Amino acid sequence: MTGSVAGILGILVLFALLLLRVPVAFSMFAVGFVGIWGLNGLNSATSLLASEAFTLASSPELIVIPLFILMGNVASHTGMSRQLFDAAYAVIGSIRGGLASATVIGCGGFAALSGSSVASALTMGKVALAEMDRFKYDDRLSTGVVAAGGTLGILIPPSTGFVIYAILTEQSIGRLFLAGVLPGLLLLSMFVLAVSILCMIRPDFGPPGPKTAFMEKIRAIGRAGPIVLVIFITIGGMYGGFFSPVEAAAVGAGAVILIGAITRRLKPAMLWDAAKDSVVTTATVMLILIAAHMINPFLALSHMTELVAQGFAALDMGPMGSLLLILLIYIILGCFLEGFAMLVLTLPIFFPIVLELGIDPIWFGVLVVLALEMGLISPPVGLNVFIVKSVAPGVSLGRIFTGVILFWVMMLATLAILVAFPQISLFLPNTMFN
Amino acid sequence: MERIRTLADRLIGLSAAIGATALIGIVVVILIDVIGRALGSPLYGSQDITTMASVILVFAPMALCDRLGGHISVDLLERYFPDAVNRGIDIFVAFLGAVIFGWLALATWDSAQLSLMLNLSTNLLYLQKAYFQWAAIGFMSLASLGLALRALELLLTGRDVRTETRS
Repeated sequence: MTGSVAGILGILVLFALLLLRVPVAFSMFAVGFVGIWGLNGLNSATSLLASEAFTLASSPELIVIPLFILMGNVASHTGMSRQLFDAAYAVIGSIRGGLASATVIGCGGFAALSGSSVASALTMGKVALAEMDRFKYDDRLSTGVVAAGGTLGILIPPSTGFVIYAILTEQSIGRLFLAGVLPGLLLLSMFVLAVSILCMIRPDFGPPGPKTAFMEKIRAIGRAGPIVLVIFITIGGMYGGFFSPVEAAAVGAGAVILIGAITRRLKPAMLWDAAKDSVVTTATVMLILIAAHMINPFLALSHMTELVAQGFAALDMGPMGSLLLILLIYIILGCFLEGFAMLVLTLPIFFPIVLELGIDPIWFGVLVVLALEMGLISPPVGLNVFIVKSVAPGVSLGRIFTGVILFWVMMLATLAILVAFPQISLFLPNTMFN
Repeated sequence: MERIRTLADRLIGLSAAIGATALIGIVVVILIDVIGRALGSPLYGSQDITTMASVILVFAPMALCDRLGGHISVDLLERYFPDAVNRGIDIFVAFLGAVIFGWLALATWDSAQLSLMLNLSTNLLYLQKAYFQWAAIGFMSLASLGLALRALELLLTGRDVRTETRS
């Protein structure tokens, strides 16, 4: 059997296993291990398995993942997300659609504390949905805005998506985090714009909330001050060169624990639960990463990447055409695959092509993460939609999916802007790192 | 079978607790290092401690991750499959996972022997890598046993612990 045939067969088996509900990590382990065994022998497959597992588990860069997850979990357990929402609500809650916009801003703030979109949607859903329900917001807007706003967690740094991308493509985590700032803010603004347009066309979707007195506004902003300070210290410290991403994550986690302890909102049992939740999430992510490092050598040995690259060359679309095709594939795959699994499965194939085409890997990282983000609210497996459904059991899935359409279109528009203007992604990393 | 499940759950809970302790330990070590560095005396060998602790942190919760059904899978077609097929898939997945973790443990055992022979250790504190590989083997074996037990339960009694109240 030639390498290419083995590669194609391997990918078909991989997809068959995935469709049979075999966990992504197990599927990649099985196909990668058997594939390397077939092409290079059992000893080669076994020694790769042992070395990759230990090397990855002891990789200093990867510690950033559990630390940022812990930071987000503690912030969520101690209700810090509520204060972010309250501050935004106090400022803009009285305008039409203000509660929905406050939710988006709250999601953006929480995204800067947590690298997880699911955590953002879940936390903000618990906080904001009841408020929007109280002020008679249309449930399509309220659930849609939480599901879409939650996706900001993966684009605004710290982002688990960027860390995984960085590990798989050997790019700088710091540069990627920095590259995500402006696109994240752009997307946040697009979401707020979407809410405003919608409420202008359909005023009944987002009635204005009660006015907040000036002093109450100041107090609400003041209460969110410590969280904003944590965000400033972690993100600012990293960009200012005071901390590495790992140190920033530990400082952030330490700071939210300290704030929780000082304000007496964090009980030891709560910290323990947050730590246990964090390590379980870490185990899920790490097992997939280790499995990805089994399948990557198999794809290299079977020359699959070269085969796909030849296919792209034959299409003769140039770098921009190829980039658009790759992004289209990501958007379509995002409808069926979990975003993180999609990243791990496709990057080994697409990334070498991207490099060969001369596309900036940091820019590509931002585009891919945004495409991945769109998958979080795309039917039929939009994870954030299901998360919101779990928080709002009274709203049908159909209505939530209807609610996210406008935000999905806004994400597509943001993707188009970022493709057209790479400087938006590259300005900060190029300015600060060069 | 019930007694084995109780024992397995206790071990799984213990290993996850070890992982959580490792995570909090990592936060503390890095904070001491950062504060120490600001004061002119960083913690010597902090990276050695954090990287080796991360081995514990990664592998210790693997068994609990499966126990809680935490592995990511594509359940797009689940509702279209008959119950018997879904049950068959669950059993197959649990056995496959048991084999993967078992093989991983075996492969790491060989690697640990090599680390011991070559006296491989961390750069500053000279922490023996083999000790941490053995710890990882223990956690991998526990994950493998947990998966094998789940497969047996599904096969013999139809019980799926993942659907029960989370411990």
